This record gives sequence, structure tokens and C-alpha cells, in this order.
Amino acid sequence: MSESIVEQFKPLFEPKTVAVIGASAKGLALPNTFMRRIRAFGFTGPIYPIHPTASTIDGMPAYKTLADTPLPVDYAYIAVAGALIPDILKAGKGHVRFAQVVSSGFAEVDEGRDLQEALVAAARESGMRLIGPNCLGLFSPRGHITFAEVGPQPVGSVGIVSQSGGLGTDVIRRGLQRGIQFSGLLTVGNCADVLPTELVEFYFADPQTKVVGLYIESAKDGRRLFELLREAKAKKPVVILKGGRTKQGLAAAASHTGSLAGDDRVWVALSRQTGCVLVDTLDQFIDTLLIFQQLKPHTQHPTRRVCLFGNGGGTSVLATDFFARIGLDVTPFETPAIEALADLHLPPGTCITNPVDCPVGTLQQEDGAVAEKILDIIFSQGQPDALVMHLNMSAFLGRSKPEVLDNLMAAALRVLQRYPHKAHFLLVLRADGDPDMEARKRDFRIKALAHAIPVYDEMSNVGQALAALQWHESFCVSRQ
Amino acid sequence: MLSTQLIKQARAQKRLALDEKAGKAFLSEFHITVPSSTVVKDEKELEAQWSQFSPPVVLKVVSPDILHKSDVGGVKLSLQNLEAVKAAMALMKEQPGIKTAKVEGFLIEEMAPPGQEMVVGGYQDPQFGPMVMVGLGGIFVEILADVSFRICPIDEQDARQMLSELKAVAILKGARGHPPVSMEAIVEVLMNIGGEQGLLMRYQHDIEALDINPLLVSATQAVAVDARIILRAHHE
Repeated sequence: MSESIVEQFKPLFEPKTVAVIGASAKGLALPNTFMRRIRAFGFTGPIYPIHPTASTIDGMPAYKTLADTPLPVDYAYIAVAGALIPDILKAGKGHVRFAQVVSSGFAEVDEGRDLQEALVAAARESGMRLIGPNCLGLFSPRGHITFAEVGPQPVGSVGIVSQSGGLGTDVIRRGLQRGIQFSGLLTVGNCADVLPTELVEFYFADPQTKVVGLYIESAKDGRRLFELLREAKAKKPVVILKGGRTKQGLAAAASHTGSLAGDDRVWVALSRQTGCVLVDTLDQFIDTLLIFQQLKPHTQHPTRRVCLFGNGGGTSVLATDFFARIGLDVTPFETPAIEALADLHLPPGTCITNPVDCPVGTLQQEDGAVAEKILDIIFSQGQPDALVMHLNMSAFLGRSKPEVLDNLMAAALRVLQRYPHKAHFLLVLRADGDPDMEARKRDFRIKALAHAIPVYDEMSNVGQALAALQWHESFCVSRQ
Repeated sequence: MLSTQLIKQARAQKRLALDEKAGKAFLSEFHITVPSSTVVKDEKELEAQWSQFSPPVVLKVVSPDILHKSDVGGVKLSLQNLEAVKAAMALMKEQPGIKTAKVEGFLIEEMAPPGQEMVVGGYQDPQFGPMVMVGLGGIFVEILADVSFRICPIDEQDARQMLSELKAVAILKGARGHPPVSMEAIVEVLMNIGGEQGLLMRYQHDIEALDINPLLVSATQAVAVDARIILRAHHE
């Protein structure tokens, strides 16, 4: 196969033509929704509904089989009764590049194993690549394809493969809320033909993708995954959310070593040998993808030393404990930095040793100009690898001019410009669920993200994301 | 190659694992130090071979029916002279678990110099292929499961990291008055087992699992004192 992997998958991520199988003439089935969604998402190419009897569906001319469409089909979205699908594929022989089978009832249940084999055989003999079955679909901003209900989205740099469809939807919707922009997200279900590792290979080669995320339940081709990641030497960060546990072979359990292994050991080994980041929860997955999307890893000097600056004494203390527990260093500044901060003659109640903990009063002073002086000293003399600015928005309520947040961020941006590439800068916006405050937080988050600043909801989230960044950076340093 | 021969032989005899003698010969082919040993059928053979040994020696029963030799009284350590070996052999033959088993002979083996007990192992993960493991022996492996794994092949940096992530690594470096052990010797064993040219990669179609337990590591060397090599069900 001489075609590069990027070329091979281009018709999937940027299809010129889309066929939809399973749309109803009454317009009520999932495929009808899919057609509406991709139009709303900006897909302007031909959509070919395939239907045995209807002449039009949702106002578009329908075709009897996949072979009858005016142009060959780059991407076929299939959601009909499973038993019908092998013949549907065979009818489109040589006319379809990628067929995604959303329907279930295949090898995920015992009685569906034969049907899945028939499905794979039909796809192979018809010269098409099969995605799924038992998945939800594709989300590809560059190709204007989406299975999830979202508004228009820019093309981003985070590429995802998910073995679960529902979780894929969560990643898209929650990720977008948090500011993640995707280069693609494919749900692969049973992986009967196209394997997650092929997508990893695609994302590695795809210039648009900077970070790769995987949700894996069972690594069918674990060996290939290992080899791919090892070869890539963590050039692009890879974040793996591992779900489910596979049973080890019985023979392995018969040996002492095998019985000690369990499933997790393999994944831990994979992570240590290839630098990929293992996470346990959906929140961590999104937090970690976000940090890699927003920040350029320091591959010469891993992040260890973190300086904290914000309002909230207890929050600072708890964060210091948590950060220390996960391998981040929040020890106090050396004397010069402390002396420089002391020279600012900050009001009583301000702690200046790292964490720098300022009551709201201090942050408000001179419309945030004091904050700029503090940040400048931390950057120039505090030796930070990363600086986390945390703002408890509740404390600003009713006592601060609304623009104080903007002033604080403007101050931070000026300091960042003065010390380019010196330290990672991250923001934590702590809110309490009050609707007005959440709305303000959302606006502020968007502004910060536009300046490449990752924004987190809590200190523990930013801590875990920094630990993941540290893991990746340390691997890069150790393998240079 | 001798190692391939050993597997063929075991398969021809319908064994599921290499016996101890064959297992050690196999390791030896991969440059892993094993104690010098020989198998004798009876007292007469023992007498004929005795001059090649420098005591103390270990005596172990050899039987395909016995998987855990020490459980049936089939292991006797620290035998200082021929008379002691003979007496131990006579006693062993009378043990209930041995009397009824098919006994192929007795293994006489020089005792390795004292050192830290380690375990090194490997197995085939159904998805990821060969895996290699290391840990300290005894309670560290059995109760604390303080072991680390890697996917094969490993390089030397991987091998060193495996050791450094053991909770008990301080013991290897010489904690509480214990002399430090040779990390290099362990790394070498790990490479011979799990490296690109190692045993697990080269024989991944034949070896299902492997336990070296214990690997006795002193300040200068690592000796595989006991080894179990379990064969893979024959592939087509």
C-alpha cells in the first residue's frame, strides 16, 4: 500500500460525499437526525440517503443501493438492522471508501459473532474499510461531520479514538465546554476492521493533530499499540483512559509471574516505556488533553516546581499538600524573592512565601497592578516551572468592580510576555454553582483560552494535569 | 541450538514445562549463571560423580509428577559431604509424596554464594506479548507484590527503571547493614530474559511463562538457583 496513512484516512475525516442508510421517509430515525446535524455542522457536499422504496428523504433524492449514487461514497453512515448490512455493503462493491456501522447486535453479544464475521467479509470483498459496528459515529470538524449535537466548531489539535460511543459524546460535549478543540474523534465500537492503532497512526502522521487521546476497553492489538508508541518516542503526547479489565489467559495465571500481573501492570508498563499518560476518569482525561492542547511541553526540563498565587488560604494549603503528594514541588521561595515581595508592603493577611495567598483586597489594589508586581517577582525570582493563578470568584462577589478579573488577567498576560517560555501559566477559576457566577466564569474562561491559558475548575484538577505534563516531559528528557 | 533441542525434547516427552535441569541448561544458553549441577540415578552414580563438586551442595528430587519439591520433602540444603548426601537421598526416597511418584533421579547442585533473593519472571500477555518482571524474593513478592513489569523487548534503561521503582530498592543498594548487591548483574539477567535478543522474545512462540525464583544476587554476581519454564500449548 503506497498511499500514506494520512491519504488513506482523508476520505473519512474529510468526506466529499456521504451516504446515509437507515433514514426513514417519515424523518424520525437516527440517520435523519445525522443528516440534519452534518448540514448544521457545515457539510455542503452531497448527502445520499439510501432507501429501498422511498424516492426522497427529508427533501433529498434517495437511492436504492450504495451502487446507485451519482458519485462514489467517501463515508457511509449505517444504522439499520444488523442482519441487512452485509448485503447492503456488497451492493456497494468498489463504490464506498469507509462504512461506519452504528448498529449493534454483533460480536458484543455471543449470538452476533457470526454476523460480525459476515459483516467484515462483506466489507473486505467490497473494497471498503469498516468502522464499528456498535459505535456512534464520527466527529470531524475539518470534514464537517458530527454524530453529536453541537454547534459549529473550529478544527482543533486533539485527536481521539473511543471504543465507547456514549463516552465519545461526553468527551466531545464536555471537552468543548472546557475549550478543547478537536482534530477528530472516531468511535470504533467493536473494531471489527479499522483498529484503534490505525487511528493512532493517522493522528501521529496528521499535521493537524498535536495530542492523541484514547479510550480503550480491550486492546485487541496491544502489541501494535506498544510498538507504535515506542517508535513515536512521545513526539506527540498520548493520553489513555483505560476502561474495563480483560481476563488474562488461564495459562498465564498458572505461573507465579502471571498471577502477579493482572491487567493494570501491562498498562503501567506501557506508560513507563512509551511516556503515554494513563488516566482513570473522564475528568482527568479532559483535564489532561486540555493541558497538552494549551501548553508546549518543556522537553529539556520537566515541570517540578510550581508556584501558587491567588485568594484563599485554605485552598492554598490543601493544594500544596495535594501537589506534593503527586510529585510537584511547592516549597517556599528563596530569600531574594521573599524580600522582593516583602518590599511591596502588602496588607496584613497576605502570605508571600509560596503559595502566595492574597485576600481579595490585595488583588483589587490599583485595579490589579499589585498583582502584576507580585507575578513579576514570582516569574523573575521565584524559579517557577509552572505558575497557577487561582481565583475564588465567590470572594469577589459584591465587593469588587466587575473588571477586576479582566485586570488580573491582563496583568498576567503582560508578565507572561516579559518572560516568554519561562514557566507554564495556568488558571483556576473556582465558582460555587451560582448561575450568574458560572456565566461570568464561562466568559472569562473563553478569554483565557484565547490567550492559550488552560483553565481549570479546581486545584486538584490542575494538579493532576500538571503531573501528567510532568510525566510526559520527564519521559522526553530521559529518552533524549 | 541446545535451547531449541531442550524444547523439542520436552515436547516429545509431552511435558508442559522444562524440568529443573533442562530449565537451567536453557537459562545457561542465554548467559545466565546457574549453579553447577548434575543428575544422578542412584547412590552408585552419586559416588562416581562426587569428586567434581565442592560442597556445600543441595539435593533435589527430579520427578515430572512433583511440581513443588519442597512441599513433599524433596529438597535438602547445605549438605557438607558425601555421607550427608547419601543419607539425605535415602530419607528422601521414603517421603510419602515421593515414594508414589515417578522419580527420574536426584539433582545435586552446588550452593550459590549467599546474596539477596530476587525473582525474575516472564509471561505472555494475550494482547501485548511477552512481559518481563522483577522483584525481591520472599515476602516482598509473595505478600507485598512489590514487583515491576515491562513489555518486551526492554533496553537497559528500562531494566534499571524496573529496579528503581521497586519499593524495596533501598535493600538492593545496601540498607540496614546489608551489603549492596550488583545492580549490573540483575540488569544483565533482565536483558538476557527480556531484551531484544532475550529468551522471551526469541522463544515467544514456545514459552508461556518463566519464573526464576530465587535469583541469588551477591555483590558480584547473580545466580539462578531455581527456574521454571512453562511451555506454550503447541501452536499450529
